[in-house]
Amino acid sequence: MAAIEAHELCRTYKTHTGTFRRRTKEVEAVRGVSFTIEPGELFGLLGPNGAGKTTTIKMLITLLIPTAGSARVLGLDVVKDAREVRKRIGYVFGGERGVYERLSGYDNLRYFAELYGVPPKLQKPRIEELLELVGLKGREHERAEGYSRGMKQRLHVARGLLHDPEVLFLDEPTIGLDPVGARELRSTIASLTAAGKTILLTTHYMFEADALCDRIAVISKGSIVAEGTPADLKRGVGQGSVLEVEVYGVDEETIEQVRRLGGVLAVSVEEREQAQVLVVQTQAEVELTSAILGHLNGGQVGRISQREPTLEDAYVALVTEE
Amino acid sequence: MSTLRLLGVGWYFQFKMILRSPFDGIGNVLYPLFFATTALFVFRAGQSPRTLVYASLGAAVMGMWSSVSTSAGSAMQRERWWGTLELLVAAPRHFSLVMLPATLGLATVGIYNLAATLLWGHFVFGIPLTITHPLLFALSVVGTVLAFGGLGLLFAVSFVRFRAAWVLGNFFEYPVWLVCGFLVPLALLPGWVRPISWVLAPTWGMSAIRESALGGTPLPDLLLCLGLGAAYVALGVLVTDRVLYDARGRGTLSLT
Amino acid sequence: MIVAARIFVVGGLTSFRALFYWLTPWIYVPTMLVAPIFQILLFAYIGRSAGLESDEFYLIGNALQYAAIPCLFAMAQMVGGERYQNTLSAILVSPAPRIPLFFGRSLPVLLNGAFVAAFSLLVGALVLGVHLPASSLAPLGLVVLIAAFSCTGLGLVNAAASLRIRENAVLSNVIFGFLLIFTGANVPLDDLPSWISTAAQGMPFTHAIKAARELAAGASLGDVRGLLGAELLVGAIYGVAGYSLLRWFEVLSRRYATLERS
Repeated sequence: MAAIEAHELCRTYKTHTGTFRRRTKEVEAVRGVSFTIEPGELFGLLGPNGAGKTTTIKMLITLLIPTAGSARVLGLDVVKDAREVRKRIGYVFGGERGVYERLSGYDNLRYFAELYGVPPKLQKPRIEELLELVGLKGREHERAEGYSRGMKQRLHVARGLLHDPEVLFLDEPTIGLDPVGARELRSTIASLTAAGKTILLTTHYMFEADALCDRIAVISKGSIVAEGTPADLKRGVGQGSVLEVEVYGVDEETIEQVRRLGGVLAVSVEEREQAQVLVVQTQAEVELTSAILGHLNGGQVGRISQREPTLEDAYVALVTEE
Repeated sequence: MSTLRLLGVGWYFQFKMILRSPFDGIGNVLYPLFFATTALFVFRAGQSPRTLVYASLGAAVMGMWSSVSTSAGSAMQRERWWGTLELLVAAPRHFSLVMLPATLGLATVGIYNLAATLLWGHFVFGIPLTITHPLLFALSVVGTVLAFGGLGLLFAVSFVRFRAAWVLGNFFEYPVWLVCGFLVPLALLPGWVRPISWVLAPTWGMSAIRESALGGTPLPDLLLCLGLGAAYVALGVLVTDRVLYDARGRGTLSLT
Repeated sequence: MIVAARIFVVGGLTSFRALFYWLTPWIYVPTMLVAPIFQILLFAYIGRSAGLESDEFYLIGNALQYAAIPCLFAMAQMVGGERYQNTLSAILVSPAPRIPLFFGRSLPVLLNGAFVAAFSLLVGALVLGVHLPASSLAPLGLVVLIAAFSCTGLGLVNAAASLRIRENAVLSNVIFGFLLIFTGANVPLDDLPSWISTAAQGMPFTHAIKAARELAAGASLGDVRGLLGAELLVGAIYGVAGYSLLRWFEVLSRRYATLERS
């Protein structure tokens, strides 16, 4: 039996504007997402902000009802068997919210241990063990309002593990952490898979997914645009090549013209210090440098370089595709 | 058993949080105290010591009610702001069992309002503090707290659906003060108000507290108060299911 | 002059809309239109059960005094709310002249307060069956405006305080509570301790409520002009005090960087 199965999940939101004459607008956040995650797997859902990652997770953890499609967690339907699903899953999200700031970290955990029905006798040792695991030991009796962002994040992880769930949902757990904190959290996540947990992780950091995940699905504008191991995804653009051109001010129209050149796979613009860098992914066999420079005529051009594609490029190519 | 434990532990932590946010509470204590003072001035002008005792008990329960009515909605709103509402809903225990301790905690703070108003009446207006049946009085206060907690639960879960409702706390304050006989004898109100007063537990809690303080028979009132409180909780559980299913369908849980 | 007038009117209205985006009819109707009726009923019935003053007494006192809710809360929100949205500094660095800037913000607050009081007075009269002589309605309208003016003046002081005090809602409630007791809205001033009735002379509403009661009893506008003058004077003093405080806090916050501390 698969740990998580999503079948053609869809979710639309209705938004209202106006008070007296209400206008309703439908926003399709997720449009037909399917995937299967095997027990013990660490599966990454990767996509830019607003791609539908969080909405997908919220349907799986029973906080949202799908508008169409179905999903099962450990064989249980997320709509019909919501209670049973909730007992078996843990949910951790990034950011500083979701903590009772006026309570200590320890009290936060005790409260949620009760909500998750952890037997009273087990609560104490379990909390101690988790404090040790996430590295909050020694600070647990301070009020959470004084915790740093990273500490709150680790408190979230401990909370999500209180009832020793078989399946764990991590929604952008490293968002806004400093590099050291993020690395520590990633090693904690890696140790959880080693302990046999099934994990669904969302992130918009490519390297994070690359480092942690067994398999990745790239989601863009509500649909999955690619799925496979990190190696598979890299292979997808492996034959191409990447041209980087430093420019100083480039308009949408020029980018559009470059995008329409034969042999161009994807175009993106990165901001770097004073300059912008136009990143053009091309098929391997074509030589487009002069054609691209031709389109940039008039504008100032800096350093030009060519390199092999990385997983990051694969991702950019996927999420910018029309 | 585990349900009772959940209620107890939940109450403990909610109460702890309320005590740690003194500023939220100051308004809840002061605001009804101004009304109590005004009412006591009015009754004092009426020159009957008996009515003053009657009024000071009523004003004290007014304060109790305020702490629930003004905070039940904002308690729910706070969970939204803190981002904990989703976590509570995602937990396997029934959401109403999670919220009931919170509203009970608020109602418990009401005991402080009750005492503060009685003491204020005693020291500022010289109203005697005589409680004929102390034990029954204590029981009546506890019973009233429980019923207020139940009514608060009904409010709080309705506020999951009506997001703007948290602002309306004050709105529920006055009508209950008026129709539950805190300061105005029910007989004085128009006849059609009577049934509304009867289904509101504060009416009976008020009556039980008054009877036990002034030396009457509080038990029937107390039982009615508790019965209605239990009915509110039952209704609250049903409403919770409806409201949460609706919120999951509309995707409004995470909105602030 | 025209610039000043534009800042006064357009700036005032725009900021009102920007800061009260959450004030939908679902909130406005219960808190501004229904709640005062209940306050009137509560005290009218308390009065009946204590066998004291007439319904008209409580109707006028509470309808006028309830204008304190919109005036105090809205004024505080007009200034304090800007701080939460971190837009206050953007406004204060602008070269806009300060007098029309701050007083322009008061105008919509004043009008709204007057509307709330007038509405409560009329609907309250209908509910309680109090008859207000037709000839008194226009003068009563003027009294309502003057009362809202003087309370908006106090609101400006409250707004200045909101720059320094975090829990402004608590402060607004406390001021409202003092006005409930002190202004004679529910207890004749003679029945209150003398220090309270003395202090009441310096508070908004005290003179307006007295004037309104005399008008309802058949007095003419000329009979109450002394009271109305006093009410206007009280409002003007608060207005000037509030404005000076705002300017002073503006200077202080530049010196001590307290502007964005929320």
